[in-house]
Amino acid sequence: MIVFDNVCFSYGPREILKDVSFTARFDERIAVLGESGSGKTTILKLILGLITPDRGKILIDGVDITKLSEEELIPIRRKFSIVFQEGALFDSLPVKENVAFFMREILKLPDEEIYKKVGGLLRRVGVQGAEELMPEELSGGMHRRVAIARALAVGKASMFLYDEPTAGLDPINSERIISLIEDLANKENIGFMIITHVVYVAWQLCNRFIFIKDGQIVFDGTRKEFIKTDIPYVKDFMKELFFKVTY
Amino acid sequence: MKNLKKIRQLLAELQDFYLLCLDSSIKLFKKPLYFDDIIEQMEYAGSSSVFIVSLVCLFVGMALSLQLSAELSKLGLKMYTGKIVGIAVIREIGPLITALVFIGRVGAGQTAEIGSMILGHQIDSLRVYGIDPIKKVVIPRVVASVIMLPCLTIIGDLICLFGGYYIAVFVSNQSGSFYWASIIRELKFPNVFSGSIKPFLFGYLISCISCFYGLTTRGGAKGLRTSTTKAVVTSIVIVIVTDLMLTRILLYALGFSI
Repeated sequence: MIVFDNVCFSYGPREILKDVSFTARFDERIAVLGESGSGKTTILKLILGLITPDRGKILIDGVDITKLSEEELIPIRRKFSIVFQEGALFDSLPVKENVAFFMREILKLPDEEIYKKVGGLLRRVGVQGAEELMPEELSGGMHRRVAIARALAVGKASMFLYDEPTAGLDPINSERIISLIEDLANKENIGFMIITHVVYVAWQLCNRFIFIKDGQIVFDGTRKEFIKTDIPYVKDFMKELFFKVTY
Repeated sequence: MKNLKKIRQLLAELQDFYLLCLDSSIKLFKKPLYFDDIIEQMEYAGSSSVFIVSLVCLFVGMALSLQLSAELSKLGLKMYTGKIVGIAVIREIGPLITALVFIGRVGAGQTAEIGSMILGHQIDSLRVYGIDPIKKVVIPRVVASVIMLPCLTIIGDLICLFGGYYIAVFVSNQSGSFYWASIIRELKFPNVFSGSIKPFLFGYLISCISCFYGLTTRGGAKGLRTSTTKAVVTSIVIVIVTDLMLTRILLYALGFSI
């Protein structure tokens, strides 16, 4: 369970989040939506304890993570599988080493077992045969899928976190990523939180929608509530959805 | 008011830098030590820099010898070229020039690499999976710099002296054997110690400054440009100031009279 209790965060003089409060279960499928710079990614970083809020509490399974040290945060962070924006693959390593990286560093598995697992994971995300390619040789879609394989490599988490998983992708690759995210959630039977500004992606995958505007939550509701809302900001986002569904 | 804010920012930056230096020094003695990363960084900082260090040192040695020969010949003291080139290169010019080249090639590269890892969330990825970026990213670079800069300085010194030799013998028509003999006579403990202690400290400072600015990179390509520039400028200033302070301390400690 994730609990945000009146969380405030600022970068220098710029206030990013203002008294943000929400509760999320690990098995939910949540989309955090908003314009660029509205504070969506900040929420994800706060959940992982990568940054500390100025005020407020963040509870993960009842533990207030705002006062924990880096070492104490490790078991909290292991509850999540994270796919950062644009994948965050290590540029100097080929695909197979990127996927193997955390298995080698954390699980300390023997090489033979690692490469067997890497092959399986790459097949699972549909990038088999790309083992020896360097990240700069991958397309945007392949990049994200390798990043998903890497997130899966460490073991089963309680929840997936995706930061803009389809940003910069063409519609075909976007669809592939959406299918992969759905497929993984169904097979692993765990929930996810997607940070995105593309309402169509959120609509296809999620059943709860949180809208952030100027660092505050302006909407938090289900699909039904989302469709019926009369909040102008949310309605502006919905236009894209109606356009996509209609055409 | 604006100045007060800047001073506060500078003090906070200094505190963060001090904490990074302290953290990397303490964690150096804690497991795990990423040996492969250290070797990789040594290869980048060391063997890949040999050519550029040699090139710069060769021309600096030649220029130095040329200037000294010209001035000393006016006084009829041309035969002292080797002695003065030797002392200047071993004690001062070799370590300083090598460090400045190292800043441009290795320090800037370290800042840019770590900065792009920050912007690409690679450092965040490490933290999420419980890998300490200080141990995985900073320490290998600091260790590699501390080991490789002294090695490069030895090579740089030799090439610098060789450049001086070329000018002394082929341009200034001095005796080659006398040139080398007068340099060898100057290879005494105070001179060698004074020149060999500096690169260790310079290597540590350059890599700590470079890693610090890399880790504090914010704001895309412009932020990366700013942090790389800051790292290079700060490293140059700190190395030159440290060199002056160290020279004064060493001259005093080794019993040189001024």
